[in-house]
Amino acid sequence: MPDEPVDVLIVGAGAAGAAFAWSLADTRMKIVCLEQGDWMSPADYPSTRSDWELRRFGDYGLSPNSRGRSEDYPVNDSESPIAVSNFNAVGGSTILYAAHFPRFRPGDFRVRTLDGVADDWPISYADLEPYYDENAQMMGVAGLAGDPAYPPKEVPLPPVALGRLGHTLARGFNKLGWHWWPSDSAIATVPHNGRAACVNLGPCLTGCAQGAKASTDVTYWPAAIRRGVELRTRCRVREITVNAQGMADGVVYYDAEGGECRQRAEIVVLACNGVGTPRVLLNSTSAQFPDGLANRSGGVGRNLMFHPYAMVTGQFPEPLEGYKGPQGCCIMSQEFYETDASRGFVRGYSFEITRGNGPVSTALQGLGTGDIPWGAGHHEGFDKSFDRTAGMVVICEDLPEPDNRVTIDPELVDSDGIPAPKVTYALSENSLKMLDHAVERGAEVLRAAGATETSAISPLPPAGWHLMGTARMGRDPEASVVNEWGRSHDVKNLFVIDGSLFVTAAAVNPTNTIQALALYVADAIKSNLANLFD
Amino acid sequence: MSDSRALDALLDTIIPPSADGRLPGAGAAGLAAYIDDVARNAPELTPVLELGLAALDARAGGRGAEDFASLDPDARAEVLEGLSPEQPAFLPLLSFHVYAGYYQDPQVARALGTRSAPFPDGYEVEPNDLSLLDPVRERAPLYRDV
Repeated sequence: MPDEPVDVLIVGAGAAGAAFAWSLADTRMKIVCLEQGDWMSPADYPSTRSDWELRRFGDYGLSPNSRGRSEDYPVNDSESPIAVSNFNAVGGSTILYAAHFPRFRPGDFRVRTLDGVADDWPISYADLEPYYDENAQMMGVAGLAGDPAYPPKEVPLPPVALGRLGHTLARGFNKLGWHWWPSDSAIATVPHNGRAACVNLGPCLTGCAQGAKASTDVTYWPAAIRRGVELRTRCRVREITVNAQGMADGVVYYDAEGGECRQRAEIVVLACNGVGTPRVLLNSTSAQFPDGLANRSGGVGRNLMFHPYAMVTGQFPEPLEGYKGPQGCCIMSQEFYETDASRGFVRGYSFEITRGNGPVSTALQGLGTGDIPWGAGHHEGFDKSFDRTAGMVVICEDLPEPDNRVTIDPELVDSDGIPAPKVTYALSENSLKMLDHAVERGAEVLRAAGATETSAISPLPPAGWHLMGTARMGRDPEASVVNEWGRSHDVKNLFVIDGSLFVTAAAVNPTNTIQALALYVADAIKSNLANLFD
Repeated sequence: MSDSRALDALLDTIIPPSADGRLPGAGAAGLAAYIDDVARNAPELTPVLELGLAALDARAGGRGAEDFASLDPDARAEVLEGLSPEQPAFLPLLSFHVYAGYYQDPQVARALGTRSAPFPDGYEVEPNDLSLLDPVRERAPLYRDV
């Protein structure tokens, strides 16, 4: 019966919700997950059709504001130079992510101690290490042991294909004596846990038809459901409700037909990402929590971190076979990761080498720039451009700032009438200096690799893939939203397990750390079951 | 489109066959059917195309030709170029769809060595040469231990 309370109610079936549900299912508690999206059908992913490149601008676009999918909610990001990117489905944004899967480094958890900025995390790399290892097995991480940029770590699967493009860029890094390493990638490079091996289709960012990319609909969810977790799709949560004692007692949600439903629960767990989680909390107002649930610190929604991105691209004289192989995963460099005061900014960045464009994207880009004209010069222009482009994205560490935040938009609502989030964000001077440095160094390594021309986009406007910091963890209830194992300081049966927890952002993709945190919180709950609400 | 001969001529003017014969012109590649499909799903495109094609025929007539399709390739390009001040939306809009459709076409993809739809076959990629990592392996740890 829908009104029967469940033991644990998880909101959101993405990276974090899936890992957490799978782990906590050990306890044989009654666990239900509500997801506003639906199951995806890999047979329908764009790479199965000839119009695959165009669908990045349509129903597989990055922005929920333009995709036209009914399961999405709008995000007012007009006051941010970086647009929010997400996806709503079983698997969440892992459906569209590149599956770039680096860990944080030990120093990323000790930024205040090392560099005197932001805050230290209440947990360390050592605390998360066993969960990174567990996640590597469950997601199937491909890479290579021995990277001097990291402590020794488990990498269960062989690295992705570097291809001619990766080898060309690697030689450029070697010429300059800079660090590079095959990217840790959540991609089955050999068959793994029932998943087929990667066949280098290319377009990972519009869903993997092969099932080689580790989106959680093909990794954790089947295993969690076998363990007894109930996953309800097309269920969009409006708010978390509280009882007279100030404890969470369930949620109100809308089903696929828009009908209002209630689900009671003993424990509520938010896994809606760094924008969706503060949205639910701020929409959950009551007499006891007039400023939003779990928000007595005033910290819910604050300290939003993206990773400021730039894209640096080079033109090469020879074909690079850049359309072959995982689009976002090839090699990465952490040469400029740690603070060097002489550079004029604190903290640092990673380079991630990306593959080249397909023919349609190349042609349309050339139409826009005039490099591929109509008429007599068409084929010459295309031949000069196609498969001769290689480049990288720069991923900068973003430091937390209270004024970068998620609030509730006063007017915008989703299709169920639930108030939508608004993002207010500005790039700091530190980030701008870091981006400038990275663009120069990026062009330098591309030239070393043989590029004849380079260009850059900085910052990269649609790059709001990583949503972090808006319900941060900490020991001080005045300065954090949840404690060191994800439990709300104010509401003792309410947990946060997604990127909202992050105290700082590091300069790598966050999904591996989001999932390691979700597994860590699940284990903390298991260890503290006897006195969970004390 | 009502006049496929005119449309084919226009498509071949936008993307002509390659000089080496490797790639067909957009008209010969059958892009007219793709443009028809696009126009069915985007009705605002139809009047732009019809007006544009009519204007091309009229301009060809002004040169003493029966219609646009009767002109030789160089003359077609001149006529098309001359239409832009009068109908500035026509060529950019049509070119977008022609480029998008042409490079999805299986015969074009084959000639380029790509696949129109990457799944299910994917691509063979050259084997990894991890000896390139030798200088990186020799470096001291790059991370700060805490």
